[in-house]
Amino acid sequence: MHIPDGYLGPATCGVFYAVMLPIWVAASRIVKRTLKAKQVPLLGISAAFSFVIMMFNVPIPGGTTGHAVGSVLVAILLGPWAACLAVTVALVVQALLFGDGGITAIGANCFNMAFIEVFAGYCLYKLISAGSPVTSSRRVVAAGVAGYAALNIAALSAALMFGTQPILYKTASGQSLYCPYGLNVAIPAMLGEHLLIFGWVEAIITALVVKYLQKQDPSLLEAGKGATA
Amino acid sequence: MIDVGIKHNRFIERSIMSALSFLKESIFADEYASRKGFLQARDPRIKILMILALLLAVLFAKSIPFISCIYALCLFLAFASSINIAYFLKRTWFFMPLFSLFIAVPALFSVFSPGETLISIKVFTLVLSITKQGLASAAIFFLRILTSVSLCVLLALTTKHYCLLRALRNFRVPQLFVMTLGMCYRYVYLFIALIQDTYTAIKSRVGYVSSSQKGRRIVAWNIASLWRRSYDLHNQVYQAMLSRGYSGEPRIMDDFYITFRDIACMGVSISILAGSLWQARFLN
Repeated sequence: MHIPDGYLGPATCGVFYAVMLPIWVAASRIVKRTLKAKQVPLLGISAAFSFVIMMFNVPIPGGTTGHAVGSVLVAILLGPWAACLAVTVALVVQALLFGDGGITAIGANCFNMAFIEVFAGYCLYKLISAGSPVTSSRRVVAAGVAGYAALNIAALSAALMFGTQPILYKTASGQSLYCPYGLNVAIPAMLGEHLLIFGWVEAIITALVVKYLQKQDPSLLEAGKGATA
Repeated sequence: MIDVGIKHNRFIERSIMSALSFLKESIFADEYASRKGFLQARDPRIKILMILALLLAVLFAKSIPFISCIYALCLFLAFASSINIAYFLKRTWFFMPLFSLFIAVPALFSVFSPGETLISIKVFTLVLSITKQGLASAAIFFLRILTSVSLCVLLALTTKHYCLLRALRNFRVPQLFVMTLGMCYRYVYLFIALIQDTYTAIKSRVGYVSSSQKGRRIVAWNIASLWRRSYDLHNQVYQAMLSRGYSGEPRIMDDFYITFRDIACMGVSISILAGSLWQARFLN
């Protein structure tokens, strides 16, 4: 789902930087206000955690592997605003310090993975698990459903970005300048693999991690409460 | 339980291999950033602006020769910055550009890019036509991604991470963000070392994983444990920061110097961007 440079046109990249700017400002303000001084390193460590989740290869039936994005998991653990910053930092580190992912597409990538996925996942998790105790199995189900749905919503958002490129940027002779496929190809292609494979990976990993944390140290599932609004 | 079965154990190797290759790449990158070369000698602030101007030039460009010239400039800059060209090509061609090339192939055909037919291929009873528009679309798409990836890699290879973070601070990026970036960079290495140790321990002690279901449990358990360790770690990190004089506001040293060459390089990059905007406006 990481969009590299060159897939999206300049106006699309600009629009998503503009959309993300107030979100980053709001996230910084909320996190700064609610984060205790001793929790400041938690944000950096969480960003590294978010980065590293993407390196865990998860076995998929059939002998192949995939990886989770982990945005919903970080949102459950840290709260949505801190997760938004942590995932943004992970994406910026990937793009700037390791040359992995697009610099001009950072706004769009953060919109999909640090905003849409984080907030959609967090809201769904809260909605399904509302009122349940921290060790309840409803929370495990909520984490799985939130992981699956949020990843697919983010994938749909990326597909819409790709699919609108041939409409927005075309020469007079009909030549596409950026992503060459329209919505009729981009949406089934992106949603197909996410609905069938990656969504399940995300759901299983998010649910299992919540389940293990319930057994290991349930207080960690409420750490986000103290750190963020 | 974990049973013997080589076939289902690939995820352990893949995780270790990706962690190892990540560390190897980073060590190489650090070595290149320390070399005496053209881009290494540039002021990091100017270098970021230069690369950004060139990235925008690539993004706005509508002609294949124009983007090809910027790609040739990337290769020249890599050579002038003492970067091994074979390593640079391997790093920039592998994965994203090749993946994009694979994605671009269907766009060659009239099904996706209707227009003037160049060649027709007959597959059984199906006639597929490669169009002029499709070929141009696929070529510009691939070239744009290759050049953009090359520019990003040039920046990452020739700049020490702390210089890049310091430069971001100079661009008025909020301190909380820059500090988090710096911490993230450092802890990524620690966590990668943890992944390697954990997987090596699993492999050496219990052998192989028998099913994907058990494999997924191992991964989830590892992620949960990593989070637990991370959470414990932040208290220790905070104590270490306090012992080094942290008082709520991190201090960042600033000793960058802009030279005449930096200004000249910036001028060239801006001219290329202006050229790109001009041809995007007037060429169709």
